[in-house]
Amino acid sequence: MLLCGIALLWRHSLSAYIGAFRWQSLVLVVTFALIGYFGHDPELYIVAVVLLVLKALVIPWYLRRLNERMGAERESRPYVNVASSLIVAGLLVLLAYAITRPLVMVSSLPTRGGIPLAVGLIFVGLFVIVSRRKALTQIVGFLVLENAIALLAALCTYGIPLIVELGVFLDVLMGCLVMQVIVYQIRDTFESFDVEQLNQLKH
Amino acid sequence: MNFLLLLLPSLAATGLAVTVRPYRALVGWINALLSLVALGAALSFARHAIRGGEALVFGPGELLRADGLSALLMVCVAAVVSLVLFSSPGLGGETSYKASQLRRYHVFINLFVFSMLLAVSANNVGVMWIAIEATTIFSALLIPLTLTKASVEASWKYILICSVGIALAFAGTVLGYFDFVSRSGRPENALNWPVLLSHAPLLHPEVMKLAFVFLLVGYGTKAGIAPMHTWLPDAHSEAPAPLSAMMSGVLLAVALYAIVRWKVVVDATLGGGYTDRLLIVLGVLSLVIGSFSIVLSHNYKRMLAYSSIEHTGLMCLGLALGPLGVFAAMLHLVNHTAAKSMTFLLAGRVLRRYHTTEITGVSGLLTTMPVTAGLLAAGILAVIGLPPFGLFISEFALIRAGFATGHPWLMGVVLILLAVAFVALISHLNRMLYGAPPRDVAAGEGSGWTLVLLSVNVAVLVTLGLTLPAPLATLFDQIVRIVSR
Repeated sequence: MLLCGIALLWRHSLSAYIGAFRWQSLVLVVTFALIGYFGHDPELYIVAVVLLVLKALVIPWYLRRLNERMGAERESRPYVNVASSLIVAGLLVLLAYAITRPLVMVSSLPTRGGIPLAVGLIFVGLFVIVSRRKALTQIVGFLVLENAIALLAALCTYGIPLIVELGVFLDVLMGCLVMQVIVYQIRDTFESFDVEQLNQLKH
Repeated sequence: MNFLLLLLPSLAATGLAVTVRPYRALVGWINALLSLVALGAALSFARHAIRGGEALVFGPGELLRADGLSALLMVCVAAVVSLVLFSSPGLGGETSYKASQLRRYHVFINLFVFSMLLAVSANNVGVMWIAIEATTIFSALLIPLTLTKASVEASWKYILICSVGIALAFAGTVLGYFDFVSRSGRPENALNWPVLLSHAPLLHPEVMKLAFVFLLVGYGTKAGIAPMHTWLPDAHSEAPAPLSAMMSGVLLAVALYAIVRWKVVVDATLGGGYTDRLLIVLGVLSLVIGSFSIVLSHNYKRMLAYSSIEHTGLMCLGLALGPLGVFAAMLHLVNHTAAKSMTFLLAGRVLRRYHTTEITGVSGLLTTMPVTAGLLAAGILAVIGLPPFGLFISEFALIRAGFATGHPWLMGVVLILLAVAFVALISHLNRMLYGAPPRDVAAGEGSGWTLVLLSVNVAVLVTLGLTLPAPLATLFDQIVRIVSR
């Protein structure tokens, strides 16, 4: 999953981003299903199915359509270039290992080794959001962040209660749709998706 | 039963607004009347809490719960909602919006209201998170009601920054739950607040420290605490006036409520010092950024938005200053809700008349719209904490709490920052009230209905400035017992 997250940092075209996000979601689905199998928790299968439909099929399909309608957009000039992005991502993962040490120590679950990776992925998602210019890339960054938190929930606690999990998915879906609506509005008013141009509001 | 009366009216109003197309004024009126039902339910919760009743729970898995703290927030939210819906566009008076815009407005504002009410009545901290995230989604759709570059930019920043922030709060929730699971197994309703609280002393301090940082950053983004406040001035200034009134008046308070709920749990694990230190640092930072940005702002809606940041900072400080501080913070919350919902609605009236948000573009308000000008002056004088308005009392109580808990230097800094905001707001207000009005601006008040409603806010502010009614005192007393155990 972390690999897919980091792939976002060196690929340029948006369709590659969406592909990376889809692979990441698939890995997440498998993780949930495996934890459900070994932890004997049938609820997690439901979560895995919802995840599969939502994050591996619906959202990537929707993003792809959005992308085609906009014409192939490339993240041509991110704020931070590829080489330094990768270094920053490495440092963020190290940071994640440092701050999650107490977590790993108190946990007795067999999955505890993955906790720093999940937190690292949260940081990488955040970094993608702040270092990229295109509105669509920022949406993908946000989705990666959400995936990371779902992974954290799965690894730490074998899944949070079902009602909360489903509510969260609903929120993510709604949030994603609303962001797309606003992306359309950005295009209609600014004739571009470069968030660089969103700099009118000061004092 | 009361829970249904609280939550269903806004859903019914949404349904009504969705089904009736094109939009008619009758829909607006029915929705406004429905909001009174919710207000009644909220008041009945408050009455129950004041009489010392146990917290009420409702639904499968005790999904909803109302104690004194949630009752106070419910009353604040429901009251502002009624105020806003009764002075919304599309109730028959002249309006610049098209029917489709009005329909969209009524659909999403009621969904927004529903999610705020759900957030303060949820028992499960996960559901509380879902509801708060939903407030972002619904309100982001309302900011660009009229599509302009500025409003689209504001809503993009708003939804992106707040969604990311709220996602971090969810990571914090997961960490808290993780700690809970690794200590106490998986009891029923483990994410319910009372269950969390009763197990809190057993939790692992290091994990809870990390979780609270995530939660504070996450919900703090939504509450407009510096340095996560950057979306706030844009969103508050570009949103339609009724929405800004709700966002500034109650949405910030709802996010703060989430922080308070978690603070109680984390304090039970760690003792008070840790969360208090974090809240003091962020509170002072918000005060600094809020008050100096007021000095620099030349847009009156942004000026009010920065003042909201400043007041959120004050409330954070209060929460960190012991029982008296909690009392001051809660009183401040009520006062701020009354004052800000009023000033933002008035700012909307000024904007409709002058067609500019620049402070320099507005002059001679006293001659063109005397009543609006008077109320705006009262609102801003209340916001800067002059007697006889309630914010004077709550700020005074807060400063006293600071001295009582041994933070004299901190209180000195707070007083200086309050003075900065005071001078800046007064001079901006002066510029707007006096002088000769621009030629093309017509004189006269227009429809006075909103002004009648807003005088209720003034009455609340003055009452709270002169006395603390006994039922309210009991309610605050209970909240203090909930928050600083």
